[in-house]
Amino acid sequence: MNSRRMTVIGPEASPPLDVLIIDDDAASAEACRRILEEDGYRVAVAGDGEQGLRMAEADNPSVVLLDPEIAGVAGFEALGRLAEAASATVPVVMTGKGTVDSAVESMRLGAHDYLAKPVNPERLLESVRRGVELGRLRRRAHAPRMKQDLLLQALALLEEAYSLGMGKRTLLEELAGLETEAKRHAQSLGRTWDKGRAIAEIREDLLQADAIMRSYGFRKNALIQTLLDVQEKFHWLPRHILEWISGRLDVPLREIYGIVHFYEAFSLEPRGRHSFQVCTGTACHVRGSSELLSRVSAALGLQPGQTDSRLTYTLETVHCLGCCALAPVIQIDSDYYRDPDRSRLDKIIKTMQREEAQA
Amino acid sequence: MKRLKTVADLEKLRAEAVAQRNAKDWLEVCTGSGCLACGAEAVADALDGEIEKRGLGHKVGVRRTGCHGFCEGAPLVVIHPSDTCYTKVQPKHAAPIIDGLGAGEGPVRDLLYLDEGTGERIERLQDIPFYRHQERVLLGDNVRIDSSSILDYIAVGGYGALAKALSEMTPESVLHEVKKANLRGRGGGGFPAGRKWETTRNAPGEPKYVIVNADEGDPGAFMDGSLLQGNPHSVLEGLILGAYAIGAAEGFIYVRQEYPLARKSIEIAIEQAREYGLLGRNILGSGFSFDVVIHRGAGAFVSGESSALMSAIEGRVGEPRPKYVHTSEKGLWGKPSCLNNVETWATVPHIIDKGADWFRGMGTEGSKGTKIFSLVGKVKNTGLVEVSMGIPLRDIIFKIGGGVPDGKSFKAVQTGGPSGGVIPAALLDLPVDFDELTKAGSMMGSGGMIVMDENTCMVDTARYYTSFLAHESCGKCVPCREGIRQMLAILDNIAAGKGREGDLEILEELAEFMQVASLCALGQSAPNPVASTLKYFREEYEEHIRHGRCRAGICTALIAYEIDQEKCQACGACQRNCPVDAIDKSEAGVFTIVHEKCIKCGACLKACPAKFGAVVKVPAGAVLRKSAEEIGLAGTSR
Repeated sequence: MNSRRMTVIGPEASPPLDVLIIDDDAASAEACRRILEEDGYRVAVAGDGEQGLRMAEADNPSVVLLDPEIAGVAGFEALGRLAEAASATVPVVMTGKGTVDSAVESMRLGAHDYLAKPVNPERLLESVRRGVELGRLRRRAHAPRMKQDLLLQALALLEEAYSLGMGKRTLLEELAGLETEAKRHAQSLGRTWDKGRAIAEIREDLLQADAIMRSYGFRKNALIQTLLDVQEKFHWLPRHILEWISGRLDVPLREIYGIVHFYEAFSLEPRGRHSFQVCTGTACHVRGSSELLSRVSAALGLQPGQTDSRLTYTLETVHCLGCCALAPVIQIDSDYYRDPDRSRLDKIIKTMQREEAQA
Repeated sequence: MKRLKTVADLEKLRAEAVAQRNAKDWLEVCTGSGCLACGAEAVADALDGEIEKRGLGHKVGVRRTGCHGFCEGAPLVVIHPSDTCYTKVQPKHAAPIIDGLGAGEGPVRDLLYLDEGTGERIERLQDIPFYRHQERVLLGDNVRIDSSSILDYIAVGGYGALAKALSEMTPESVLHEVKKANLRGRGGGGFPAGRKWETTRNAPGEPKYVIVNADEGDPGAFMDGSLLQGNPHSVLEGLILGAYAIGAAEGFIYVRQEYPLARKSIEIAIEQAREYGLLGRNILGSGFSFDVVIHRGAGAFVSGESSALMSAIEGRVGEPRPKYVHTSEKGLWGKPSCLNNVETWATVPHIIDKGADWFRGMGTEGSKGTKIFSLVGKVKNTGLVEVSMGIPLRDIIFKIGGGVPDGKSFKAVQTGGPSGGVIPAALLDLPVDFDELTKAGSMMGSGGMIVMDENTCMVDTARYYTSFLAHESCGKCVPCREGIRQMLAILDNIAAGKGREGDLEILEELAEFMQVASLCALGQSAPNPVASTLKYFREEYEEHIRHGRCRAGICTALIAYEIDQEKCQACGACQRNCPVDAIDKSEAGVFTIVHEKCIKCGACLKACPAKFGAVVKVPAGAVLRKSAEEIGLAGTSR
């Protein structure tokens, strides 16, 4: 998370962090981070108390998840200092030593909630959800004071814009354009996220697109390679990223769309998390790939090229996977199957559905 | 330091690498795409585990190699140095295989290749008929090399040709040797590589570029991908030799997007070659400098064409341009650029190493050396095959390939991919080389060889390639774009039983026109699949048009599935497998197909147990007539 922030171009203006985890048990911290990130939260981890307090001050997270048993600055002391800082941050304690004493002590020092380790994912999410909500209310209460900070950042931006010969109006228009893109993008994915979350998300996307372009030295002739990397990362080419690349590399958008339409590897539609690729190479064709394709198509209820509305599966055809001895062959995610029959396919699909349901 | 500064350094390293190899027995597990798909990685892991368990690490090693070629036997394991070849190996065989290494145990008989003709098990790789009739100059090393190890390549003599060229030969003499060998481009056209090199060398303009075309787009062909994946250094060494002869300082490798394994393999190879000083500045102390960049393709068949491929490397849409001036003179960024395919480059080190005369000793008058084919389709031994030019087609398909499986009869073989054509049984004794295949109305192409049996429909085959080309035509020139589209429309009609008299004549006229008027080779050769099937199998087209009959039972509009009410045992396998619930129980208690719902996917035919054989394919007309009869019967009974 932090390394990504280093790539910010211009003044630091990160959207607020949702959760900061302060825990010296890396495995436990990582598990919590994964659970929270899968639910869309922006999470950072600190390995000890000092670092944690520093990050809490710098990043101003909505919620801090803290294990008071950590080494270094004693956890309870850290908790106390967090609560005293009178910021909008909401502290939540999680500990492996679930004694009544520690619970009472935590609450006395200002913890908002108390979780026992190993943490139950549902309980964790519930606690963080309430914490973030509370943080937001507190932040609003602090808004008048924070507005001044925001204005300082905005002034720095404006100064930079003027020095580049860019007017205030242009800057605001561009910004409004990006916000519209963010909303459109969230809608196109069927998400009901709020404004802030949608903007945070496309900002993250654009930073990633920048990182990809940077790896090619922002060279125009690396456009196809850049697009391939974006496709690999996102599984499709969202419009806001293409517009961003167009601006960054100074290549007309229509030229980018020309390339995207020309090559098979690119998709302008979101793709499913699982890919079904039926090989229609010649060897597969003469050994009955069209029968296999109609079987797979019927099993998924999708035509080739389609993705289901929940973005679970994408069905595609591909010209030659290079394992003609297995013909007719289908590649499902990274596994190859030789002419699977209906019941085999059903079994594979059911397994996927079960995994999706668990996730 | 790893970096090799002189030829002597390389030879010293080679001696070390050879000693290391000889210290152990090796279990060479094929991890080509076909074997991987059959679980080769699990086999290799199991062998590793078994060796560790027994503490044999100092005596036996597992080597994960590229494609061995005999994909039908996947997953394959070969023992070095005994050359014992095991087929269809599963992880559970790890223990017996390692037992078999011990004195007195002997090989695991059940895993040896079974010769169906003689009923005997064959132990050694080179005695298996599939391998025995081949001449594996390029592919042979695939069995012996872990592609991620430059030491493996060096141990089998790798970079010896480069050392020889840099220390003993001038660029002119390298070029002369390749010209003398009469090496023709393996990518399709068969243009003499030496002449191409010379053009680029002599063309005005600096810098000059050398390019590897690894955009193997022909469906059904996977030799370039397998070579690049299994032996990437051979391609790299060939490219460096070419750059030396031509005077290029920078090279590009354009890899097809669908080949992630090959890309990874060549990436590692380049990295290692740089570390060892075989790429970069002052290679082996010769003063010659050269480096390579990988460019990923993004999935477009036409981008394999030289001018299109160069556009793509420049970051633009990969469309061909008119070639009034060849790319060898004005190519990448307008500079002289020499492009050859993977196999061509990989052949170069062998020519420099063993000499042009050795190379000329193989092949025919016009086509020297060996050629790799991917032998696929309706053939028993699917796989990669390398043979001397001039070998009869019959030998490839029957001696090496083992003929057509399931007792079916051979109908035709398609060569040259979407730009090639079909060759009928009558021409099976044709010697395979560039010129003979072209004379027969097909072409060498990159080396795809798809065998077709009596159950392959020729109209469908032509339609398949034409629809592939319709999708892949870049649309820049009218003859190709519109010609292919019209051809496809006519073929669609014929396959749907809506063909008309005169259709075949229009197809022929279109074909002739496109061959003359298209901009690039894609359009010029696009009519070949139609023209050649028409030439040799005209009667099949006529049957489709006049009688609505597809003798191979492939064109779905002309066939139907039926359940023989007498034979059906009501096991329900067909119903369970039908994806669209088009199978009902009839009054007699057995199953019957509801034709209105049937999508003709053939799942029921596949599901019906062979011992019953109740589901059958019938001409669509038979179903229509029968329902008419049934209606008639119903009428009379009332």
